[in-house]
Amino acid sequence: MSNLLQEIEAQIAGVKTSVTKQNVGAVREIGDGVAKIEGLTDAMLNEMLDFGNGVTGLALNLEETEVGAIILGDYTSVKEGQEVRTTGRLLQVPVGKGLLGRVVNTLGQPVDGKGPVKNETSYPVEKIAPGIIRRRSVSQPVQTGIMAIDAMIPIGRGQRELIIGDRSTGKTTIGIDTIISNARLNKAAEAAGDKEYRPLYSIYVGVGQKQSNIARVINVLEEAGAMPYTIVVVASASDSATNQYLAPFAGCAMGEWFMDNGMDALIIFDDLSKHAVAYRQVSLVLKRPSGREAYPGDVFYLHSRLLERSARLNEKYGNGSLTALPIIETQLGDVSAYIPTNVISITDGQIYLETDLFYQGVRPAISVGLSVSRVGSAAQIKAMKQVAGRIKLDLAQFRELAAFAQFGSDLDAATQAKIERGKRIVEVFKQPQYNPISVEAQAAILWTAQNGYFDDVAVEKIKDCQNKLTEYLTTRKSALMAKLAKEKALSDALTAELKAAVTEFKQTYK
Amino acid sequence: MKITKQARRDAKQLFRSCLVNGLLDENRVRQVVQQVIAQKPRGYLAILSHFQRLVRLDVARRTAGIESAIQLPENLRTGVQTNLARRYGPGLNVSFAQNPDLIGGLRVQVGSDVYDGSIRARLAALAEGF
Repeated sequence: MSNLLQEIEAQIAGVKTSVTKQNVGAVREIGDGVAKIEGLTDAMLNEMLDFGNGVTGLALNLEETEVGAIILGDYTSVKEGQEVRTTGRLLQVPVGKGLLGRVVNTLGQPVDGKGPVKNETSYPVEKIAPGIIRRRSVSQPVQTGIMAIDAMIPIGRGQRELIIGDRSTGKTTIGIDTIISNARLNKAAEAAGDKEYRPLYSIYVGVGQKQSNIARVINVLEEAGAMPYTIVVVASASDSATNQYLAPFAGCAMGEWFMDNGMDALIIFDDLSKHAVAYRQVSLVLKRPSGREAYPGDVFYLHSRLLERSARLNEKYGNGSLTALPIIETQLGDVSAYIPTNVISITDGQIYLETDLFYQGVRPAISVGLSVSRVGSAAQIKAMKQVAGRIKLDLAQFRELAAFAQFGSDLDAATQAKIERGKRIVEVFKQPQYNPISVEAQAAILWTAQNGYFDDVAVEKIKDCQNKLTEYLTTRKSALMAKLAKEKALSDALTAELKAAVTEFKQTYK
Repeated sequence: MKITKQARRDAKQLFRSCLVNGLLDENRVRQVVQQVIAQKPRGYLAILSHFQRLVRLDVARRTAGIESAIQLPENLRTGVQTNLARRYGPGLNVSFAQNPDLIGGLRVQVGSDVYDGSIRARLAALAEGF
């Protein structure tokens, strides 16, 4: 017995005297949020480093005699000669449904003053994108609620659709509209107890934005009741370049959790131009070789590895998806600049917003000719395909003919009719911000426009007529709209019913 | 001082020439420094500066600093030295020092590896745990 007690005592003593092995280094140089550290021979790439006093760093450059690390947080307290330790952990952020409705920073720490985030899981910020075995093609739509997009440039769940345009042309608005539209759909499905509906959760990542802009976005989302389905990740212009560089990856990790758990998520990167600038700054301070426009050589890989993480997984892997809407700001409409061409080539299409259209009052200012969705049409619902099939062609023809008509030459009746129809379609596609339209209402309105029911309405009264028609259909013909939403296709019977409803409306409309 | 890539390359080449069986030979290091100063090749100060850094890092890598709260008895010293030699190979410079701040236990640093079995480290870990 005494032997046993001694044995236990010896074992306890052994545990108590266990020695911790650590890998340490000393700060040799610190500046602009980047530290050069001597030692740290066991440091891993992207490993978190402990600078003490709660300051964390991220090892980015592993060189022969030193390690280049970016400091996450307040780097002013870091001093030369300070001891730094490896942690053995890669940079991770909290993920899960506990983040919904919260505003967090790059590290997933709350910045909205609503207390700590409830999460059980963490995901590494840098993760390899799902491989081809796990993927399937895009087949379900993301309803943006913007008629021009849902009809002509449809977006599918798992797609990467770039929103590109000059400053203040409504790029962020498209993202916010999509979040609001999906929050409404989620809420409606929840209220109706629709088990088949797959809710789409949203993540808005603000990179290098003004704090006032981010506050406005949060305010809009709260007013629209979209925050319970949304996570906002903030790395504003006042945050360090390192935080701005990591924010999209952190947001992406949060979105991946939904995808891996069989849910659908949408992520908006606002915007990747500022993200590239932040990465350029970090790279230059790390003394990495610079290339075109002083961007580092791996700026393409930076965005491709980020956007490649958006995917639609197949049923075997949970059937989840992550849709990405990256935003790029161009200078004077120059889409052939370095970063815009990179991101255009990575994504599955782009929505191009034109300043001229914006100031002409065509809002959203989508340039139909330059915008394209490479995979989204597979995800469009049948009703939308039936009515929107020819619209893009009609609009393109209208633009060409309208250019001719400017010269005042006499036009034949057919051309005249095309131009008149085109003008009405342009009017129909105008839509105020933060006012998404349901897909069944979009299909009904487009069917009306396609079948010439708006032809006898004056162009300036089209919007009024459209609004009243929508109101009429949603209030007086709600059964028809519900049927259209359920069937998702315009059958002969439904078409006849819709025709009767529109004819009845036209008789009363003045 | 700006150290050019060429200077770094030269210093590294000189450093390699000072290694004998993977260990730094002190005499060769001294000879190299004397030769460089005598010949004064282009950018010799930068070369020497980087050479000194490489030597400093190598010496740090080959030096084991053992700290204890009280002076260690001879048999314990030998035991620690033998264990370190087994793990890090021969040619390790071992230095013993007293540090009452540790309260008890040992703290061994070899290059950037730190084995901390001191009471101070355990108290710090406990404080972090709270």
